[in-house]
Amino acid sequence: MKRSVSLIILLLVSALIAACGGPQAGGVTPTAAPPTGATPAPAKPTEADCPKPEVLCVGLVTDVGEIDDKSFNQSAWEGVKRAEAELGAIVNYVETKDAKDYDANIALFTEKGYDVIVTVGFALGEATAKAAAENPNVKFIGVDQFQATTIPNVAGLIFAEDKAGFLAGVLAAGMSKSNKIAAVLGTNLVPPVVAFKEGYENGAKYLKPDIQVIATYHPGGLDTAFTDPKWGADQAKLAIDQGADVIFGAGGKTGNGALIETAANADKGVYCIGVDTDQWETVPEARPCLISSAMKLITPGVFDLIKKAQEGNFPSGNYVGEVGLAPFHDFDAKIPAELKAKIAEVDKGLRDGTISTGYKP
Amino acid sequence: MERAELPSPLQASRLAPVRSLLRAMIVPIMSVIVALAIGAVIISLSGANPLVAYSALFEGGLGSGRAIGRTLEKATPLIFGGLAVSLAFKCGLFNIGAQGQLLLGAIFAAFIGFSLQGLPAVVHIPLALLVGAIMGALWAAIAGTLKALTGAHEVITTIMLNFVAFNLTDWLSDGPWKDRSPGNIVARTPAVAPEARLPDIAGVPLGMILAVLAAIAVWWLIWRTTIGFELRTVGQNASAARYAGISVRRMTVLAMVASGFLAGLGGAVETLGVVGRFQPGFNVGLGFQAITIALLARTNPIAVIPASLLIGVMQAGASRMQFNSGVASEIIDVIQAIILFFVAADSIIRWILRLRAEEGERVTLSSGWGS
Amino acid sequence: MQITDTLARPSVARLPWVTIGVWGGLAILVLVAYARAPQATTAVLTSTIRQSTPIILGALAGIMCERSGVINIGIEGMMLIAAFLGFMFNVWTGDLLLATMGALLVGAAVGAFHALMSITLKVDQIIAGTVINILAVGLTGYFYQQGLTTRGKLTPVSIPVLADIPIIGPVFFSNPPITYASLVLIVVIHVLLFRTVWGLRTRAVGEHPAAADTVGIAVNRVRYINVIIGGMLAGLAGGFLTLESVGSFERNMTNGRGFVSLAVMIFGKWTPFGAWGGSLLFGFANALQSQIQFLKNQLPPWLAWIGDLPPQFIGMLPYVLTIAVLAGFVGRARPPAAIGKVYEKE
Repeated sequence: MKRSVSLIILLLVSALIAACGGPQAGGVTPTAAPPTGATPAPAKPTEADCPKPEVLCVGLVTDVGEIDDKSFNQSAWEGVKRAEAELGAIVNYVETKDAKDYDANIALFTEKGYDVIVTVGFALGEATAKAAAENPNVKFIGVDQFQATTIPNVAGLIFAEDKAGFLAGVLAAGMSKSNKIAAVLGTNLVPPVVAFKEGYENGAKYLKPDIQVIATYHPGGLDTAFTDPKWGADQAKLAIDQGADVIFGAGGKTGNGALIETAANADKGVYCIGVDTDQWETVPEARPCLISSAMKLITPGVFDLIKKAQEGNFPSGNYVGEVGLAPFHDFDAKIPAELKAKIAEVDKGLRDGTISTGYKP
Repeated sequence: MERAELPSPLQASRLAPVRSLLRAMIVPIMSVIVALAIGAVIISLSGANPLVAYSALFEGGLGSGRAIGRTLEKATPLIFGGLAVSLAFKCGLFNIGAQGQLLLGAIFAAFIGFSLQGLPAVVHIPLALLVGAIMGALWAAIAGTLKALTGAHEVITTIMLNFVAFNLTDWLSDGPWKDRSPGNIVARTPAVAPEARLPDIAGVPLGMILAVLAAIAVWWLIWRTTIGFELRTVGQNASAARYAGISVRRMTVLAMVASGFLAGLGGAVETLGVVGRFQPGFNVGLGFQAITIALLARTNPIAVIPASLLIGVMQAGASRMQFNSGVASEIIDVIQAIILFFVAADSIIRWILRLRAEEGERVTLSSGWGS
Repeated sequence: MQITDTLARPSVARLPWVTIGVWGGLAILVLVAYARAPQATTAVLTSTIRQSTPIILGALAGIMCERSGVINIGIEGMMLIAAFLGFMFNVWTGDLLLATMGALLVGAAVGAFHALMSITLKVDQIIAGTVINILAVGLTGYFYQQGLTTRGKLTPVSIPVLADIPIIGPVFFSNPPITYASLVLIVVIHVLLFRTVWGLRTRAVGEHPAAADTVGIAVNRVRYINVIIGGMLAGLAGGFLTLESVGSFERNMTNGRGFVSLAVMIFGKWTPFGAWGGSLLFGFANALQSQIQFLKNQLPPWLAWIGDLPPQFIGMLPYVLTIAVLAGFVGRARPPAAIGKVYEKE
């Protein structure tokens, strides 16, 4: 009897494992080989060579969440990987599980002699500044970290999310037939989300002053606000049911839920707009409705800064990255030429300062 | 003191304490070994080397002075939370709300920490700790009082109060208590005054010392006081307790308040000892891990300490494991679950080792469900 | 079979006034709102059903387990594992029906694991549930890979004629399959528990296993089967998340909904309809808090202050409301008497 019991347990465990087909841990395998036991070939440097000045080593510390989050962690990591491909850098990452580990996770890289460390997310700002003071020879790139005071070896990669949101708002208002558009958002505790939302609302009203914009922030805490696709989907449906016909999903996986739900209602003639990256690539399920995305170009921003660090002209303080709308992809033909012209005009106005997004942080 | 170190089932056998300590330890130790073995199978199935992963895990948790410091840092709130949940269980109450009580404790300790300036540490630290603990106690008292007065089940109310606590503390740290220093855009409170930060005493963080003292205090309260006796009586059989003239309502409120006090104290220690301010997202998950700790320790206050240290080692080492071997740190959740399983289903380990079942108190946590 | 008299059956005689008053009041409110803003009212009510679906399915899972005397705090984990593997089945087969069946089977398997721990291995049932919860977070998080996509999700099916009735039509008769299933299952489980021999046995085992044993009921067999059925219901709730509601999986996507189910089960005093009331209340409060944010700028002057509240306060609504209703109207709930206790023959 008891023997059979333990057999059942073993079977259960192995069934669970087998059912998953033995995939790789965590999706993305780090490219840097574990140092143990590996004899470095003279031609190819390994992580052990990081202290040498001629070897460029780039590390990345994620905010709480995974490296493959289809959002800012992933975008930043792609910038680092581009440095691996184009600059021959040795790269590795650490996923943060507990916000209290920021310092320790950065230290994993500094004690190995990494040259450039990318920290992702505003929440790491304090830990980054601290580590930068302790390691003056290491360059730090802080994604989404506004620098109130300039630290010589820290560049804060920041974005004018309100401008991207503003353009998305113009596009949404231009495509709306019901004169009602919606936004499903992560939490208002995170300033970039608020910037996206305010920009979106003002952009829509810039094009159509009488348009109705309905928006909802995730009501939960910071721990769930960006990882709740079901909530996002529910809110998108609620908005569509009351006549909204363009949905802006801005809030990590929560926003992705809203996009996919809108895609399921695409036969009703509703559209959706993604956020952060070109979500045509990251959320293919949303393609039936995805007319564009309000992008902040984290990947090229991170790469540029790594390159500048290698070339020795690393900028301190704030480094403003590019924002803009993603391509329209399959919807290119459906977007009227005059709307495209209007978007280009607004884009120009935002760049030269003649148009203000009306967002004050 | 020596007796306090022993898990409670062994109190009867005083003749051979060492032997019985070993006997009590054998199931947990074997559970850890079996769980690590199963974890290794999973790691190798996913194409990584379990030896590299585990050596990095233990290097990150125990490999250096700094690593041990981080393990203690991780274990401290788990001890407080584990004690909170254990104490409630002793009274037949399932406090799922340690998370919320901890948040309240953390933010009010931060409030006292940053709003008062210039107090000497001997005043500032106890004051901030006490206010945090009291706020945790008050938060738990809502659930305790509702149960005593209306019969509202504590499982429902504490789950709901957790959500409310998240919202409340998020709002406080983004609204009235937000750090308005120039350049800060993030939702967080200002940093607590340096005088309110917990120091290290002889190299050991004060928070850890407090946690161990709290464990001893809870053990003493439960097993050496009248209140503890009444608490356990209510937990074992509420109607019998009523016949014996014990006020079940009073004990319900009292147990919840004491439980919330411990959880709140844990949050306060976390703020003053580790984080240095309150920031949303920094205390997530502790309350739920506390349930695991309490169950792993079978609600024994002293056993809460090694249970927390064990989980603490794994949490402290998880990042390094992922960094060195690429093994995702979720594996430590799997290992924890398997340890918990084998500790609870001790018949399996005993059968493998051909051990006789241990005489002694059989822990039933579920006795208070719904009453 | 005299034990049946002592078993908790929802008493029809005692129901009326408060309940009728509450529901009548709600109905009037709905009609008033509908007269003012038909589209928004219907949308909020539709959202209520949608948001309550995983909650009621989880609560039904809990009811099946606990009525037979086995505590199940592992609903959250059961949902998460089934959500994950249901999604994976959808990725592999591309067939939503097969994937839903897969989620049910996975639920059954996890239910069987819970039964094995709780009944055969005599693990404390709260520990058993916690093991499932942690294991679910760990395994799904460890094995989930980004970049897996599926072809679509379950979409609404309108029932002809019925779907055209105002309010009721869109709310009840224009739903996706698992939502329909959940509505049917509420009735099915109610009948199963309170109108069939199986239900009688289940409740007997949950209330007084020794007496049930003496009249020839195989206590542990009844428990095993009920816990497995419960697991299937939790599996369906998980399937709802990935196959019907969202269409993809994310780590930890249950986000506490299994625990809310647990609360709703107790709220409804271990009855399917009571739990449904609880989950509707919860779903409605959730829909309402979004609607308040949506209408932020259009509220009448005397309500404008609500629109100015921080989202965190509006977000408390479902939880505070649940506590208030629980403390104010529902009160003490008596669980099945033998719950949490391992049955061993004398």
